[in-house]
Amino acid sequence: MSITPLRPRTGPNNPEGPPVRLVSDGAPGSIGGLDDNALFRTIVLPYIDEAYRLARWLTSNGTDAEDVVQDASLRAFRAIRSYAGGNPRAWLLSIVRNTAYSWMRKNRPATIVSVDDLEVVELEHAASDESRDDTPEASLIAKVDAEQLRAAIAKLPAPFRETLVLRDIEGLDYREIAEATEVPIGTVMSRLARARRRLLETLRQDD
Amino acid sequence: MSRPKSDDSSVLLVHAYLDGELDPANALSVAQQMGQEPALAAEAERVKELQKLIHDRLPREEAPAGLRARIESSIGATERARTTPSWMQSWRALAASVLLAAAVASGATWVVTDSQRQPTQVAELLVSDHIRALMAPEPVDVVSSDRHTVKPWFNGRIPNSPRVVDLAKDDFQLIGGRVDVLGRTPVSTLVYRRAKHLISLTAVPIDGKLALGGPASVDGYNIVGWVENGTSYWAVSDLETKQLEMFAQLFRSSQNEL
Repeated sequence: MSITPLRPRTGPNNPEGPPVRLVSDGAPGSIGGLDDNALFRTIVLPYIDEAYRLARWLTSNGTDAEDVVQDASLRAFRAIRSYAGGNPRAWLLSIVRNTAYSWMRKNRPATIVSVDDLEVVELEHAASDESRDDTPEASLIAKVDAEQLRAAIAKLPAPFRETLVLRDIEGLDYREIAEATEVPIGTVMSRLARARRRLLETLRQDD
Repeated sequence: MSRPKSDDSSVLLVHAYLDGELDPANALSVAQQMGQEPALAAEAERVKELQKLIHDRLPREEAPAGLRARIESSIGATERARTTPSWMQSWRALAASVLLAAAVASGATWVVTDSQRQPTQVAELLVSDHIRALMAPEPVDVVSSDRHTVKPWFNGRIPNSPRVVDLAKDDFQLIGGRVDVLGRTPVSTLVYRRAKHLISLTAVPIDGKLALGGPASVDGYNIVGWVENGTSYWAVSDLETKQLEMFAQLFRSSQNEL
């Protein structure tokens, strides 16, 4: 499908978060006069809450999420020079995401859906999606409590879950999500629509 | 009513429309399409309902207290920051003078030291103690929300047991106390919690050597200090300054509780 109708952006990365200004008149070996630590503080530390929440949704566990964020922060620190001045939140979240998935592959290989399997998941779901033709009232889900909702989101396959979490909980825009999850915007759009439909179905079944 | 497939581009555009991702011209055409096709309008209603549900039911939680500190210490940020750049020195001096001015204005008893170094060192030592405590399995040596348990615990461990007040009704929960060492002086530290933030409140006896002043924050930790009855109090926390000041205010005004 075409993605041309998307709102035009001003810059290449158009950060929505606080812009990080990197001027080039800094001391030798530093960006904008900031050393690695100062860069880390500006780029990474402001987004630790977001990083933690994403890691928690991906690992389904608070303690694991802390380990993942700590590891991801270290990776971000080592890679801080490669940060190109784009959207710092999306940059950090993509590192958190990759760290979370390698952590999951190592520690919980049974739960991880590989990218190859994903096509299958998407196709299967598209099929079941097609077979449904009911359109129950939206208000049916109004009684759902936080626990049910959390459990239903946790049940989503990871690619759908991360897309939904980044959009509907963290409020990232499509471009940031595309950057954080390293897929084209068209994929973000279809994953998001499927994630929401799937979630609604699960919630209605719970009801 | 048959429902369009989720990868139907008109469905994706409805989602994009609700997410504010469309430019005005496309937003208009999607809005018109929704007016003509009940299936799309129903899709929009469901998505809005779902977004509202998520917004209402799932508040965004903060990272656990201490995670930031562990991250900072794992990259050695706290250590390297010791070699304070010159712009920070002058900023600290400025912060100290602002604090001092505030103290004079409030009529508190302040002891001015011969240089700005000392309070700065105290502040840095206390922040280090705070970070160390966050990294330890327990941030306190005595765990209790009862001030009548915490206060006697200090007896025999340090010369003067600290004033302990209960601020639970103001949402600052006492969780216990510990003994920190400042230079070579053991000092009492009370630990309070607000939401997921811990506050280390250290009472430092003024013996002519220690005084207030110093930075309003070190390595991202805010510091609020004051003096009462010959003791200087230092509150260190990742709590935002306003709330930390509120804590200080509450602690000071509950002076006559014991």
